[in-house]
Amino acid sequence: MTRALAGEPAAFGMLVRTHQRSVYSLALRMLSDRHEAEDLAQEVFLGLHRNLSSVESPAHLTFWLRKVTVNRAIDRLRREPRPTVSLEDAASLVIDAAEQRDPLLQRRLRALLAQLPPAPRAVMVLRYQEDLNPNEIAQTLNMSINTVKSHLKRSLATLRERLGDGARPGCGKTEIGCLPDETA
Amino acid sequence: MNTSARMLSAALVTSWLAVVPPGIAAAGTPGTLQLPNFEAIAGKAIQTVDISLDTSLLSMAAGFMDSSKPDDAAVKEIIGGLKGVYVRSYTFNGDFQYPEADVDSVRKQLSQPGWQRLVAVHNSPGHSNVDIYICTVQGRASGLAIIASQPREFTIVNIVGSVDLQKLHQLQGKFGIPQMQLPDSKPPAPDNK
Amino acid sequence: MSNELNERLRAALRPVDPGEAFTQRVLARIASEPPRASLPAHRAARALELRWMSGALLAIVAAGLLAAHQWQAQHTQQGQEARRQVMEALRVTSEKLDLAYRVVKHTEHSGA
Repeated sequence: MTRALAGEPAAFGMLVRTHQRSVYSLALRMLSDRHEAEDLAQEVFLGLHRNLSSVESPAHLTFWLRKVTVNRAIDRLRREPRPTVSLEDAASLVIDAAEQRDPLLQRRLRALLAQLPPAPRAVMVLRYQEDLNPNEIAQTLNMSINTVKSHLKRSLATLRERLGDGARPGCGKTEIGCLPDETA
Repeated sequence: MNTSARMLSAALVTSWLAVVPPGIAAAGTPGTLQLPNFEAIAGKAIQTVDISLDTSLLSMAAGFMDSSKPDDAAVKEIIGGLKGVYVRSYTFNGDFQYPEADVDSVRKQLSQPGWQRLVAVHNSPGHSNVDIYICTVQGRASGLAIIASQPREFTIVNIVGSVDLQKLHQLQGKFGIPQMQLPDSKPPAPDNK
Repeated sequence: MSNELNERLRAALRPVDPGEAFTQRVLARIASEPPRASLPAHRAARALELRWMSGALLAIVAAGLLAAHQWQAQHTQQGQEARRQVMEALRVTSEKLDLAYRVVKHTEHSGA
């Protein structure tokens, strides 16, 4: 980080390589679009390059990247309301070449997550991709811990219900009535 | 005019001067906005863009652009007619952490004579608002103002002078300027009716 | 059941690496941006001014030469910083113009 601060391109390149997996994946799971995710991830790293002097430590860097990526993704989702992705379309958007057992279920889970409103989606992604505890999620998203726990509980309940029921006809055309409303 | 009428006129003039916003009374170059001091909220922002470029700094910047490079030459052409560029942009990690009163105080200046709104985009579900204004003096553009606000970000851009938006469009994809989705600048085909 | 769902979520959200091509694209974008000053222009100017005053107490001629050199460096730094700020201002302006167009376009498509 010190060398990157001194303006060494190779050092900044190392920072990018170290963190791009996390940043890109956060963006991808939030936006469900490979191109938009790459665009957002590039923006985040450009922002990092401009604001590198404000980063205090490697731990702060990780926190900063997560926070900026998720918040920017939330802003994009709120700014450009997009038609809810149907289960079939969402499943085809993200193809993970290293699928393990039960690849269809994993795709279905990703598709269901993509239908969540921005805030609970962010909570779920930070929990299950980044392995953050509720307190860390609350700090990253500037939410109360109770709100984080509420989002987790309701989203998991919805996922269990949807996995159990299968796709109901009509869900996927509108978020209202299919998934819990976003709460502050 | 008798004494009472003169006193009444004086009172009316005095009260008019009292209600004229200080920004207008003190305004120098047409198209210039009086921007609030955002230092208090800058500390809360996770990202800040604070740019104030007057004529001399714009000239200095132009001096460091290489006219032999087409991209630099294009930027030089854009800023050549400008007298000032002012940007305040703040991004926060929570919703509505900025005082809307400050943003509104800028909007109020744009309701003054000379300014007219070109575009007003208000997206209620996402709380995204973008207002674009132009200032004209004797029929010529002398300023541009953009106010964009979202729950976690607000941006004020004030460009003093005549800015060619089509030339700005031509810079898309360069210098970090996004590929814009503005309509093509080609004029419509003639009507053959 | 709960643990099984948790594990399946973790598996489904396993991070994906965008690859070396992504890294190169980021670095290319950074390289295409004008160099930024390591300090804001006014702070850099202030630092240079203090160093010049120290030199002037020791040797007037040497301080004069040093002042001339530093003025040139300061001018170059300020000029490059001004150039960077122009680019940044144009970028922000374009971004907001594009945002307005996108929202208008979305509104038209949604029939609002």
